[in-house]
Amino acid sequence: MTADSGEASTGTANAGSAVDLTSAPAAAAADVPAALVAQSMRQYLRAWWQQVRSGNSGVLPVILAMVLVAVVFEIVTPEHAFLRPSNLVYVFGLSTVYMVLAMAETLVLLLGEIDLSVGAVALIGGVIAFKLVQQPGPGWPWWAAIIAAVAICGLFGALQGTLIALLKIPSFVVSLGGFLLFSGILIVVLGGADGNVSVSSSAPNQRVIYDLVQGLIVPAASWVALAVVVVAAGVAIWLRAAARRRQGLVAPPVSLTVIRIALVALVGAAVVTICTVNRGTFLVKVEGVPWVVPIVLVVLGGWTVLLQRTRFGRYVYAIGGNPEAARRAGVRLATIRIWCFALCSASAALGGILLGSFFFGEYSTNTADPGQLVLYTVAAAVIGGVSLFGGRGKAIHGVLGGLLIGGIAYGVSLLNLGTLATPLEYIVPGGVLLGAVLVDVLSRRGTGSVTRV
Amino acid sequence: MSDVIDPTAAPAAAAAEVPPELVARSLSQYLRAWWLRVRGGDSGVLPVVLAIVVVAVSFQVANSTFLSAQNLVNLFEQSTIYMLLAMAEIFALLLGEIDLSVGLVMAISSVVVAELVQPSGADWPWWAAIIVALLACAAVGAIQGTLVARLKMPSFIVTLGGLLILEGVGIIVLNGSLVSIGNSRFTNEAFLYNIFYGHFSPVVGWILLAVLVGAVGAGLWLRDASKSRHGLETPPRSLTAMKIGVIALAGIAIVAIANVNRAHSGTIEGVPFIIPIVLVVLAAWTLLLQRTRFGRYVYAIGGNPEAARRAGVSLPAVRIWGFVLASLTSGIAGVLFLSWQVEVTTNIIKTANSYVLLAVAAAVIGGTSLFGGRGKTIHGVLGGLVIGGIYNGLYLLGVQSQWIDVVVAGVLLAAAAVDVLSRRGAPRQA
Repeated sequence: MTADSGEASTGTANAGSAVDLTSAPAAAAADVPAALVAQSMRQYLRAWWQQVRSGNSGVLPVILAMVLVAVVFEIVTPEHAFLRPSNLVYVFGLSTVYMVLAMAETLVLLLGEIDLSVGAVALIGGVIAFKLVQQPGPGWPWWAAIIAAVAICGLFGALQGTLIALLKIPSFVVSLGGFLLFSGILIVVLGGADGNVSVSSSAPNQRVIYDLVQGLIVPAASWVALAVVVVAAGVAIWLRAAARRRQGLVAPPVSLTVIRIALVALVGAAVVTICTVNRGTFLVKVEGVPWVVPIVLVVLGGWTVLLQRTRFGRYVYAIGGNPEAARRAGVRLATIRIWCFALCSASAALGGILLGSFFFGEYSTNTADPGQLVLYTVAAAVIGGVSLFGGRGKAIHGVLGGLLIGGIAYGVSLLNLGTLATPLEYIVPGGVLLGAVLVDVLSRRGTGSVTRV
Repeated sequence: MSDVIDPTAAPAAAAAEVPPELVARSLSQYLRAWWLRVRGGDSGVLPVVLAIVVVAVSFQVANSTFLSAQNLVNLFEQSTIYMLLAMAEIFALLLGEIDLSVGLVMAISSVVVAELVQPSGADWPWWAAIIVALLACAAVGAIQGTLVARLKMPSFIVTLGGLLILEGVGIIVLNGSLVSIGNSRFTNEAFLYNIFYGHFSPVVGWILLAVLVGAVGAGLWLRDASKSRHGLETPPRSLTAMKIGVIALAGIAIVAIANVNRAHSGTIEGVPFIIPIVLVVLAAWTLLLQRTRFGRYVYAIGGNPEAARRAGVSLPAVRIWGFVLASLTSGIAGVLFLSWQVEVTTNIIKTANSYVLLAVAAAVIGGTSLFGGRGKTIHGVLGGLVIGGIYNGLYLLGVQSQWIDVVVAGVLLAAAAVDVLSRRGAPRQA
């Protein structure tokens, strides 16, 4: 009865025009995102601005940060080289590794856990795939090698997830131990502290792996692919909104749908334009979109659908938001947690394979330091907008954060810093990580979601 | 009064309120109370002592030089680094936090001391260099602690970012060069070198032991006497005598082993200086944590921060001091580390972060809980000895360093699992 009267009084408050109008949207915002109930473009924008003001700023900070980083590096790099197409494509290639790893880490961060072993697991995945296609050697077909690497790493993740979910050991301890364990195994798999493994671009089977990042789609095919992607995305967005309207559900305004499709098209056109500029020499043309761009888009699409449109995804957010509430609602915490760690490690393996391909198909213990890699990964996810405290973030945040981290890492390396170059490789990600977490912590203040004393 | 009532019921009820060994009046009662506590999951140092025995026996079986006097002293010396880092980590762990930067803080301390005593550079006296290095480390701890306590950032992220920044700073300070303290022509360098490699003469070792056992014995005895004078519960006399006996025996064993000539040619015998150094740190931090108000607050926050806050404990202040003490202790480890390594290079700084795993592993193996509120400084010393024993034993067997890392990771995970499992069924669930 009391609940009924409470609802009734809210109803009258809405009806009475003398009542302060701002109180109703504020109350609604607490229950459902205001953006969901907006019916017109203006309402939607206002709701969005309210959301930003209340600390849930989504992708806005990372996009602003990207603009800032681009402008600053363009000004300070020698000869203002940062925004040259050749450099931008290089940043893309480097960033894809961080993007895939950050998307992997996002799955775990959403639960309110962390995986510090992601760098070591990624490198093991890369080395396994590279070892399996060696000729003479196992000589597996490239697809079997990739599947095997992803599956083995997924198993590593499931193992760590089991320790975390069933034994309830804190995830940072398990994955710290895992980091040490897998870093040791990595050196063993590589064949010693100075071991290395590479794929050749002349053997057709190995060339596929070499080309994951190094390979290019010819300009004409790039444009066709873009057109296909934009049309497919546009139709999907349009059909979903139309279906909602037909069913009488709340749907975003038509103008918003159009703007979204236009944005996808614009960003795509910009990327393809940049990539199809000849960045080679006058004689040897280098132009076209790297294969890795559609690969990352597929991973992004897969994780986005999994997290936003499936029951599994809803459970992940539920656990991250409030594990006890999720448990009482009947969610099997252990199963979801183990799956998330397994998926995280499995997609980390893909990131590791891309890393080897990015370094021109060569893997050595000098290629990447697993410790540094995990820091870049966590920083990328958090800077992209994924909360360290669970329950807030999307796969797209990993992609944007990865691009930003890649841009910063490459921009710093472009500067002629002499002896400062090496220390900055450590200081920059450390500072960026702390800055991103600080923003995360501060933006959570006042939202009532920080439970720490 | 009546004999019909189950006599076990009373101790069990008491156990829920006060530790039963506090109210035990005889040795047998005390032992029974202790066993109850072990059964209840609060096993204290028992697992780590068992671990030390297992490590000693298994490596001795695998390689008969493991328990030789020469190797044992060597093992002790190496372990002191792990012991100090574990004692540092325990401050963070007791608060329910973690400090991942201990390894890098140690490296920074080494770099600062080494740079400051260079005759071609600053040329400071050794003590001034050490003081400045420790102050610098304490400042690092204060900054990290402030970010954790005031801004409420998760400690593992703050210290993860912190260790990266320190790694960069260390490389900048070192500036690509190799800094050594190995030149015995300079008194400052010779002094620093001797912190790790110097030792007492055998006779002095025995005298120091006698003084130490006498002081500890008198201290324990006087405390009991003053307690019973005030009408408080005191442990049984026989227990106090046994405690003193165990300390004396352990001390005699250590001094006897250290006094065996361990040189291949010539004579190297006597207790290394670092053993008393570790003992002093151990005593100081034990007193701080067990006998002061600050120590009680640390345990209170680790046990239940909200309860501590409501009881009027200033959480930020205690947390910041916890991180300061952790970094300070890491700084002390850094002085030993410099003395051990003799020189600092960029590569040593880059590998320093792996020490944090050993520190956490040593603390947790020693019996300190990852969830806060449970642990003592002595756990760091015992856990450090286990880690040192594993490293030393595997090294003697010719195992490659990557496999040693794998074993240590396994040990860390096993210790964490034991910690979690022993907490199950305990009244405070993590």
